[in-house]
Amino acid sequence: MPALSPTMTEGNIAAWRVQEGASFSAGDVLLEIETDKATMDVEAQDDGVMVKVMQQDGSKGVKVGSRIAVIAEAGDDASTVEIPAEGGKEAGGVEAAKKDRPSPGEEMKGGIERTESSPSAAESPPSSRPEADAEAGGAADTAGAAQKKSTSSGKQGGKPQKQTYPLYPSVEHLLHLNGMTAADADSIPSSGPNGRLLKGDVLAHLGRINKEHPAQITARLQKLGHLDLSNIQLAAAPPKREVTQPPSAPTEIEIPQETELAVPISLSGVIATQKRVNDTLGIFLPLSTFIARASELANEELPLAKNRKPTADDLFNSVLGLDKVSSKVSSRGHYIPQVTGLPPATLPFRRSAAKKTDIIDLLTSSKPAAKKAAPRVVPGAVGMSAGENVFSVTAKAGEERRAAEYLERMKMALEREPGRLVL
Amino acid sequence: MFSRLLPRSATRSALQAQNQAPHFVRASPVTAQLSERIRQRRGYATPAEEKDLVIIGGGVAGYVAAIKAGQEGLKVACIEKRGVLGGTCLNVGCIPSKSLLNNSHLYHQILHDTKNRGIDVGDVKLNLANMMKAKETSVNSLTKGIEFLFKKNNVEYIKGTGAFADEHTVAVRLQDGSETSVRGKNILIATGSESTPFPGLTIDEKKVITSTGAIALEKVPKKMVVVGGGIIGLEMGSVWSRLGAEVTVVEFLGQIGGPGMDAEISKNIQKTLSKQGMKFMLNTKVVKGDDSGEDVKLEVEAAKGGKAQTLEADVVLVAIGRRPYTANLGLENIGLETDTRGRLVIDSEYRTKLPHIRVIGDCTFGPMLAHKAEEEAVAVVEFITKNYGHVNYGAIPSVMYTHPEVAWVGQNEAELKEAGVKYKVGTFPFSANSRAKTNQDTDGMVKFLADAETDRILGVHIVGPNAGEMIAEGTLALEYGASTEDVGRTSHAHPTLAEAFKEAAMATYGKAIHY
Repeated sequence: MPALSPTMTEGNIAAWRVQEGASFSAGDVLLEIETDKATMDVEAQDDGVMVKVMQQDGSKGVKVGSRIAVIAEAGDDASTVEIPAEGGKEAGGVEAAKKDRPSPGEEMKGGIERTESSPSAAESPPSSRPEADAEAGGAADTAGAAQKKSTSSGKQGGKPQKQTYPLYPSVEHLLHLNGMTAADADSIPSSGPNGRLLKGDVLAHLGRINKEHPAQITARLQKLGHLDLSNIQLAAAPPKREVTQPPSAPTEIEIPQETELAVPISLSGVIATQKRVNDTLGIFLPLSTFIARASELANEELPLAKNRKPTADDLFNSVLGLDKVSSKVSSRGHYIPQVTGLPPATLPFRRSAAKKTDIIDLLTSSKPAAKKAAPRVVPGAVGMSAGENVFSVTAKAGEERRAAEYLERMKMALEREPGRLVL
Repeated sequence: MFSRLLPRSATRSALQAQNQAPHFVRASPVTAQLSERIRQRRGYATPAEEKDLVIIGGGVAGYVAAIKAGQEGLKVACIEKRGVLGGTCLNVGCIPSKSLLNNSHLYHQILHDTKNRGIDVGDVKLNLANMMKAKETSVNSLTKGIEFLFKKNNVEYIKGTGAFADEHTVAVRLQDGSETSVRGKNILIATGSESTPFPGLTIDEKKVITSTGAIALEKVPKKMVVVGGGIIGLEMGSVWSRLGAEVTVVEFLGQIGGPGMDAEISKNIQKTLSKQGMKFMLNTKVVKGDDSGEDVKLEVEAAKGGKAQTLEADVVLVAIGRRPYTANLGLENIGLETDTRGRLVIDSEYRTKLPHIRVIGDCTFGPMLAHKAEEEAVAVVEFITKNYGHVNYGAIPSVMYTHPEVAWVGQNEAELKEAGVKYKVGTFPFSANSRAKTNQDTDGMVKFLADAETDRILGVHIVGPNAGEMIAEGTLALEYGASTEDVGRTSHAHPTLAEAFKEAAMATYGKAIHY
């Protein structure tokens, strides 16, 4: 029989709303209880099944804390659930309640007992049983909810919980002073975070302070622990704007001076290798594979750009003082060549002047297409020439030497020993 | 080399990031040009790909969420328009101001506090340019550090300004002027806050400055007026006062330090700062300002009406608070709401009314603190990935880095009185602490507020040397629901300032030993 008000000592059961064997979900009205003052609904705190009703409709003068029904976890088979004897310590019946002076919340819970049908769950430590914690009407995380559900005060007390952490120094001290041992701590209702036993809980247990007080503080601190999102006053909707403004005033964007470097490279060696591999191994390797691998090689340990800014790695190294240990003179490049097939008779080498990039052209891709120059179709690579191709890269200001070095290596790799790129 | 310091797998992933460049081999100059552009934008999102999480804002809230999301295995992109990560905190807030506070304190101490310590110093001169350079070095190494962490955790870093195009798409104006867009299954708004301007004064960051200008003045002002005696105002006022400016703080409320600071602590620090040379005008409002001349003129009067007075200063620092920054975010395109103070409306899981769009940090509710934003960043990613996250807003510390520092966590006396909670107070002055005595730095006290019946700690307030570090212990105690007796029965090393913390706890449930 739950206590619906602090002064309630007994009550009458007006009617059960959930019959034996029926399942219910959190918030459902389980039964109506008549007290000398009013008739009140008792709501379910959690989903579950009604196993057995002990005190039938119309029972009069049922003492607070005595068993009125047995419920089980949702999904449990009501017919197979073992009903523990009333007054068992774990069940928190009347006798146990008197001995341990549980807080009112426990007394309330004491009325409707929950049984565990799965023995493993019953034996596992409390910390691994969140549902069991939530069960306790006054356990930290449901304190607020319990308060809401029962309008009368003093419904949330802690539930005794096995203390799996070292006891707080104040708690240990108090227990000792009062002739208790650490084992007794497990039977004192606790209100601390994660069911930890606090000094206030022990004081309440000893009757030195108001028993409801620790749980009240916990409830208040719980509330402070969350953002107050009540009473939000919405701003008036802004007048609809016709055009969305650009996110920020367009600023002058500096385009770094870029130079395009180009070098003619003959792919005839590569094509020969490609053919050889195809003939001997029966594997067709596309030209792009050769070029990609050559590029990979050529990008390694390129000389540093003149105006290079330190990278995150460099800064990290300098934090560790490693920059003094090994002075880095090269870094990996990120060049990717543009390859253009050349008709047989073109200038072998050109170095164009600083190229102007037009943002609009880039955005609209409206740059007029340059003359196509693909004299011979190469398998797997449209627009490349089997003979001379121009490999070009764009180098930012200060990086010219780096880019030139890269192209030089590309030429070396592709013309001299293309076979080694793939074998 | 860096690679030698990391396990092999890490090296490989670092290399992968570099090798991701598409090895396009194309002949047409147009496509080649395009591929070149794509290469340059390597790592940037292309409109087609959808991210698990797109974060707008690379400040403390945004970057922490990005790294956390990367660690959780989400495909994540972080959009930042400043050009460097870290937001206000790292670039123009907490970090640079701490550099200036520390170095100006050193300067001030060398100037005024060496004789009694048996150190004779010669000519002491301030080199402001170098002091600023030291600040920039600290800031740069930290912001670059975040970029490194982004790489390490596979976070795509998009340098540009994001705005909602629709509910799942963020249009980005990149720094190079081009535009792109990113789609996200989830979108996180972490755009932060900006200084609230003072009506009637035009902020030019030279004469009329906010905190941003206050960390970058080119010369020490002769006279400086700080409008707003909150944490930012007092910290920056301290810096320039130590460097030689005549600083007057004008505060509308009856106490400095903002409404969260305990009144007793506030009075204590005000006394100490006054001794250091700062002037305070409390219960005073600025009626109007005139910045047309060479000096700025401020007309002030008592808050409850009274005689007007004119203050003149060559620099006026406006530090009346910060407000959420959501301008040009395209909120109207998706119909997101703010409250009257501009904060984006959220539920307890940081969701807006469009549940896949969440908001954390300064641009929504709660205290505007970097560490609060950090907590939320982790929680919000956990909400996305695990459906549960938690921030205990009741145990978020606040620190003011003046000298002595002020720090607190939990509730103050005024708040407890208002809530009708019966509490007891225990204090311990640093003047009775051995370490403070040997340091000749004895201003301040530790104050505990605990529940009268259960002794559970409800608030800890410290003014004193190293308060900002000491408050961590108070926060931990609060988080664990400890009583003052628990703290009092815990060993604290001797001789340390933290002993004052223990003794104040002892004074709350019993008696302090040394006082």
